[in-house]
Amino acid sequence: MPGQPMQVYEVFRREREGGPMQHAGNLLAPDPELATHYAREFYGRRQESVRLWIVPRAAIVDLDDPDLLQPPFDRSFKKPVGYSTEIKAKLAQARSRAGTEQVEP
Amino acid sequence: MSAQAFDAPVRAALAGLLLAMADDEFVLGFWDSEWTGIAPLLEEDVAFASLAQDEIGHAQALYQLLGDLEGGDPDELAFGRRPEEYRHARLLDHPRTDWAFSVARRFLYDTADAARLDALVASAHAPLAGVVAKMRREETYHLLHMHAWLERLATGGPEPRSRLVAAMERLWPDALCVLAGVEGDDLLVEAGVLAEPLAAVRRRWLAGLAPELERLGLPAPPDDPPDGCRGPDRSDDFRWLWEQFTMVRRSDPEAVW
Amino acid sequence: MSESRRVQDFNRHVAAGGKVEATDWMPEEYRRAVGRFVEMHANSELMGVLPEREWILRAPTLKRKLALSAKVQDEVGHAQLLYRVAEDLGKPREAMLADLLAGKTKFHNVFHYPTESWADVGIIAWLVDAAAIVAQQALRESSYAPYGRTMKKICWEESVHILHGRDVVLTMMNGTARQRALVKDALERWWGPLMQMHGPRTDPAKDRDLAWRIKNKDNETLRQEFLTVYVPRIREIGLQPPDPELRQDPDSGTWRYTEPDWKELYAVVTGHGPRSAERLEFRRLNYAETQWVRDTVLAAPLAA
Repeated sequence: MPGQPMQVYEVFRREREGGPMQHAGNLLAPDPELATHYAREFYGRRQESVRLWIVPRAAIVDLDDPDLLQPPFDRSFKKPVGYSTEIKAKLAQARSRAGTEQVEP
Repeated sequence: MSAQAFDAPVRAALAGLLLAMADDEFVLGFWDSEWTGIAPLLEEDVAFASLAQDEIGHAQALYQLLGDLEGGDPDELAFGRRPEEYRHARLLDHPRTDWAFSVARRFLYDTADAARLDALVASAHAPLAGVVAKMRREETYHLLHMHAWLERLATGGPEPRSRLVAAMERLWPDALCVLAGVEGDDLLVEAGVLAEPLAAVRRRWLAGLAPELERLGLPAPPDDPPDGCRGPDRSDDFRWLWEQFTMVRRSDPEAVW
Repeated sequence: MSESRRVQDFNRHVAAGGKVEATDWMPEEYRRAVGRFVEMHANSELMGVLPEREWILRAPTLKRKLALSAKVQDEVGHAQLLYRVAEDLGKPREAMLADLLAGKTKFHNVFHYPTESWADVGIIAWLVDAAAIVAQQALRESSYAPYGRTMKKICWEESVHILHGRDVVLTMMNGTARQRALVKDALERWWGPLMQMHGPRTDPAKDRDLAWRIKNKDNETLRQEFLTVYVPRIREIGLQPPDPELRQDPDSGTWRYTEPDWKELYAVVTGHGPRSAERLEFRRLNYAETQWVRDTVLAAPLAA
């Protein structure tokens, strides 16, 4: 096996069954096999992970453009924002019409 | 089966086997822990330290089994003997030397130990079978890691190759001692503690290694182990190690640490 | 946008608690300051291995051997994590190691002193690590986010070391007269370096690392925090820090103490400590001895 330059590998881990993969850190390794062993050492030797993903940093596609991720126009129509006060008022009105007013405890 | 069911000669042979295995793991763990802080790569430093710690953990479990069998506390067994009373294989009498030497020694030890554990996994001595099952799972990583380094050194160019070949030539005779030097292994086979005699385990181990050694053009083993596989003659290097690891206890024998 | 306007916006951003990532724009001065800070921290973790390493072989029980070996392994791991952070700021790891070995960069004072007995191992794991963790907890909020995240992992791992150290010390204090004498002697030798460890009082107005929130607490605050927690814990087991002036003001809670020897600190961190030369030489020899391994697994001999 020929020598290679050290590459940075990003490590993702799952802490317990059913959990998401989360970024844990990164390390240097000469090749993918040793990168796997080292990831196990740094993010698994205390039995703190049930799964690891070891990815060359070069393979990661990075997006941090605020125009794409934080566009300026109001997007509240996609979120549950503002409904609670509206619904509360309208519910009170509907109950009053139906004669089903609730007594506040 | 509890050890009470075994008769005295079998129990004695079992104690001998446990002591040999525990001392092997203990001494290897010590030599390899010397690389902590000074290994060739920082990441490798952390990995190699884990391997050393695993061996100490295995030694602890094996000394505990021995203590349960014959009485005695694991720390007393581990730290309380004179150098001549240790029963590790001659392979572990060598100091860590250089990286190629440590890799070669670990490779030979881990593969021999894997064969030994295979012969114990269905042991009639249930506590031993339990410890062996756990050890085998940890050894998976050891084997993967040492194969990775063996490959890299063997194919990495003239310098690593020549160091590796020289190390293996020096180590091979003593490596055979890992699967030798235990009295009464035939009794253990009869009692179902061991699946086959150590000589058979040794043949199986060497047959398993042969294809890889040939592929990488590495030295082949000699036929037979040397004399005095497990002491009482011990190397000066081991005596130095013994001075180190017993130093604090000897300074205050009454003390608890 | 002009460069100076950009710098002003940046300074406002970090002063308000904003974070900086490795790929963000940052003023060159900030990049250099963080790089230096993290590099010294990484160097300290790496050199910190040496005083304790010899005791891995000498640990008197299986349990202590495992605990100490795991602790030292963690320190090596911390060095790796910190060199990674510093490297992502632009300085290759090999260059940092070369500078350390050439004596061009520094590491913390405590790692320049000898360890003389098993009691030193306990005192270091308990009190030196405690003093370090006081600083490291504050660094979790560093403006440089990769450093802050690394500090979170490091703090969690260090908390185990302190427990191990305290257990070693307590076992000895409850043990034989000889063991108690060893602990007392170790505390007497380590107290001076411990008091110097956080560094002299600095003027916060002149401390750029504070202004940029690379660190968030000044040296004296850290020292006071350490004393507040640990002096009572030292005294409650029958030990006395060897400083007759050490006392806590009952109203303000501020600790008064004999002024540490700042000349000693300066001499030590510039490489004139009792073990500075020997340890750097040991590292140099080992690094040279293992160069062939790095050359084997890596593409070419590493550039300085």
